[in-house]
Amino acid sequence: MADLIQILVLGLALGGVYALMGAGLSLVFGVMRIVNLAHPSLIMVGAYVAYWAFRLYGIDPLVILPVAMIILAATGVLLYKLVFEREARSAKYSEMTVLLTFALAMVIEGALGTAFTNTQRVTSPDYATDAFFIGSVFIPKGQLYAGIVSLVIIFGLALFLKFSRFGYAIRATTQNREAAELLGVNVNFVGLVSFAIGLGLAGAAGSLVSFVFSFYPAKHWEWIAILMSLVVLGGMGSILGTVLAAYILSVVAAFVGFYFGATWSTLTFFVALFVVLMVRPQGLFGEKPELA
Amino acid sequence: MSELLEVTDLVAGYGDGPAILNGAHLSVQPGKVHCIIGPNGAGKSTLLKAIVGMLKVRQGDVRFKGKSLKGLRPDQVLRQGICFVPQERALFPKMTVRENLRMGGFSMPDKSGLERRIDEIEERFPILKERRDQHAGTMSGGQQQTLAMARTMILKPEIVMLDEPSLGLAPKIVKEVFNIMQVMAEEGITILLVEQNALMGLRHADWGVVLDLGKTLFEGPAKEVLGDPRIQELYLGGKKAA
Repeated sequence: MADLIQILVLGLALGGVYALMGAGLSLVFGVMRIVNLAHPSLIMVGAYVAYWAFRLYGIDPLVILPVAMIILAATGVLLYKLVFEREARSAKYSEMTVLLTFALAMVIEGALGTAFTNTQRVTSPDYATDAFFIGSVFIPKGQLYAGIVSLVIIFGLALFLKFSRFGYAIRATTQNREAAELLGVNVNFVGLVSFAIGLGLAGAAGSLVSFVFSFYPAKHWEWIAILMSLVVLGGMGSILGTVLAAYILSVVAAFVGFYFGATWSTLTFFVALFVVLMVRPQGLFGEKPELA
Repeated sequence: MSELLEVTDLVAGYGDGPAILNGAHLSVQPGKVHCIIGPNGAGKSTLLKAIVGMLKVRQGDVRFKGKSLKGLRPDQVLRQGICFVPQERALFPKMTVRENLRMGGFSMPDKSGLERRIDEIEERFPILKERRDQHAGTMSGGQQQTLAMARTMILKPEIVMLDEPSLGLAPKIVKEVFNIMQVMAEEGITILLVEQNALMGLRHADWGVVLDLGKTLFEGPAKEVLGDPRIQELYLGGKKAA
C-alpha cells in the first residue's frame, strides 16, 4: 500500500511539471493553429537561464522563474513579429509553420550546444536533493515544489482565460477566429500575446525542469514526443485537457516504471499517443476531426 | 434620401484569386430592411465580407456616413457601427450563452453598461436567459441563430448584416428568425440581408437588390423586385409572387 501511495505521489508531482510544459504548447496551438515543435527547445532555453543564474550568481531557480518567463515571452514577441506574423497570410500556413518550428528547434539546439556544450546539466539548489517523509512515503522536495508552482501558474492561467477581458478574446479566437474578429477582437494581436504567454510558460517550465531533470541541448526531442502525447490525449488546443492528460499519463508512467522498470516508463506516453490516435483521435476534450 | 452606406463599383475577391465582385453597387437607407438576392456564386456573401473588411477592396469604394471604410479591419468596421453575422457557426461553441453575449460587447468600453445591456437582451429573448449557462454549441440550430442575432443588438449597431440566417433551419424556425429581424428593425437597426430564399427574403424587406456575376443588376423597392417579370423568371423560379 505504501508503495502505491509513493508511486502516486511521485507521478502527481511530475504530472504538474508536464502539465506546465504542455500548457504553453496547447495555448499556442489553440489560438494560432501552430504545432510549435520548438516549444520544448524553448523550455530548454528557460532551463539554461535558470542553470546559469544559479551557477554564476547562486540565484534560486524559483526566484529566477519570473525572469525566465519575461525573457522567453520577449523572445516570443520577436519570433512572432519576425516569422509567424507574415506566415499567417500564407495559404500553406500549416505546412510552413511545422517546417519553421522544426527548423527553429534545430537552430536553438545548435546554438545551445555551441554555447554551453552537450554536457548534462542540472541546477542543484538544496531542496533538489532533499525530501519530506510522511510515514514511509518520501516526497522529493524538488519535484514537490516544481509540481506546486506549476499548479499555481496553471491555475493563474485558467483564471486569466476565464475571467479577464483578454482571456475572453483568447478563448473566442481559439473557438472561432472569424467570429471573434467580427466582434471586434484584433486577432493578430491576440495571436501575438498568446504566443508570448505560451513562451512565457515555457520559460517558467524551464526553470522548474532545470532542477527536476538533468538536461542537455538535444533532450528536447524526447520532450516534444511526451508533450505531443499530452496535447493529443487532452484534445488539440484544450488546455484543461492537456493538464488532465499530463496528470493521468505521468501517474500511469510512474506505475509502469515501478512494475516494469524505468526504461518502460517513457514508453507510456508514446503508446498513449498511438492508442488515442486510433481509438479517439479528438482526445478527451477536442472536437471531432472533420472528415471534409 | 441620404444613404447610410454606399457601395460603388466594387471589385473584390479572395486572396489572389479572380474577382468575385466586378462593379457591384449598393445604397443602404437608414432604418430599412434590404435584401440581396441572386443565384449561387453571384457574390452576395462576398459583398458583405468586402464591406466589413474581411476581403480587400481592389477597386471602387465603400462609404459609411460619407467616410470610406476601405482598408479597415473587421474590428475597426465594427466600431463604426456595422455588425456582421456570417453564415453558420457565428458562435463560440464552448463558451456559455452568457459568455457569448459578453463577447458581443467586447468592443464596448463600459463594462457595467454591458451587463445591463445583456440583461435587457435576455428579457427580450427568454430562451437565452433560460440557457445562459449552457455551452452555445449544445443548443439547437434555431436557438444558435437567435443567439447570434441577439448578440449583435448588444452594441446597438446602426447596421446589421445577416448572411443567410435561415440556412439549414426548419420552416417554422425560419419564421422565428425573420421575427427577430423584425424586432431589430423596430429598434431602428438598418438591416442588410443576404437570402437564398429570395421570395421569403424580399417579402420581409423594404428594398431589394439583385446581384449576378458580381454586378448589381437591379435595385429598387422590394415590392417592385417581387413584381418584376424578369426577376421572377430568373430568381424566383418563374412563380408568380402571391
